[in-house]
Amino acid sequence: MNLRVAGREYISFSSVYLVLHLFLSFVCAKNAHNMNIPILFRTYESHETHPECKIWEAARATSATPMFFKRIEIGRAQPFIDGGVGRNNPSWVVLDEANSLFGARPIGCLVSIGTGKVEAVSIRRPSFFQQIIPTDVIEALKAIATDCEDTHEHMLRLFAQLPTTYFRLNVEQGMERIKLSKWERLSKVEAHTAQYLRRKEVDKKLVLLGKIVAAPKARLTIEQLGMYNPHFQSGNGSSLLQCPLGPWNRSSTGWNASTVRHLWPPL
Amino acid sequence: MLERLRMDVFTAIKHYDTMVKDVFSHPKKRPGDGKFKATKLEAAIKSIVKDVTGNSESPLLERNESTGCRT
Repeated sequence: MNLRVAGREYISFSSVYLVLHLFLSFVCAKNAHNMNIPILFRTYESHETHPECKIWEAARATSATPMFFKRIEIGRAQPFIDGGVGRNNPSWVVLDEANSLFGARPIGCLVSIGTGKVEAVSIRRPSFFQQIIPTDVIEALKAIATDCEDTHEHMLRLFAQLPTTYFRLNVEQGMERIKLSKWERLSKVEAHTAQYLRRKEVDKKLVLLGKIVAAPKARLTIEQLGMYNPHFQSGNGSSLLQCPLGPWNRSSTGWNASTVRHLWPPL
Repeated sequence: MLERLRMDVFTAIKHYDTMVKDVFSHPKKRPGDGKFKATKLEAAIKSIVKDVTGNSESPLLERNESTGCRT
């Protein structure tokens, strides 16, 4: 995902990285003791820096997908696992981070790159798979796929009135039968990706994206963006409670108001 | 890889190919806490970091140098 914030600051975010032309980046993980809030391991100073964290530790933490690898302890025996559900498409995390870094500057563009669409329906019934992989892995993969697309839908709504600001690239077909650990199928991943990139609408999107990255038309700050969308300004503060913001604080009753306000202060 | 290690895309893909083969080729015989060996993953990551920075224990944080102007 690339996020371009007005002027010359260039943020690029590939899967789990946020980068400026200054090379600012982070990866997401979760503290197994507190799964609600994503932990960001950043390459730059911030109020929440992990000063002793090594590159390999951060990479290891964000790769610690439950059921694939065991958790890793960093710092004072804090156990970390992969960002997981709610963080597989980290667009909200990027916007929040960009807002705290460059809140006053307008956003140029946000590019989100997916790892392939997995249609829930294409995942075969557990009975077939049970002998090979446990049902909970299938459930986890479904949740990840749904989670990524949900976030994408929210982004589309958020950026509805700024059509040349949000871009999502995601291979739409063929990836659903490729399991996370099937390294021998990488050539297929490559083939599906090439096919996706050849599609006319994708090609047009890439050309447009190239132009926007080269010369962003920054018009609104991230905070204004939240207010700009009619979905977010339909009156009183209670409407904000229904906003799909800060998915990590989702509860059975809706969205946590404090997180929403932290991200997008109401008028 | 692309950012902290400043790899170009082709180099990153090359390293990724090697890494996933190392890590996913041999699932644990007795899957306990995860299907694959975290030690293999750690070794693969460290080897890449060492390749690029010369030190497998390089810190994630880039002090000051990343906040200055880079041309």
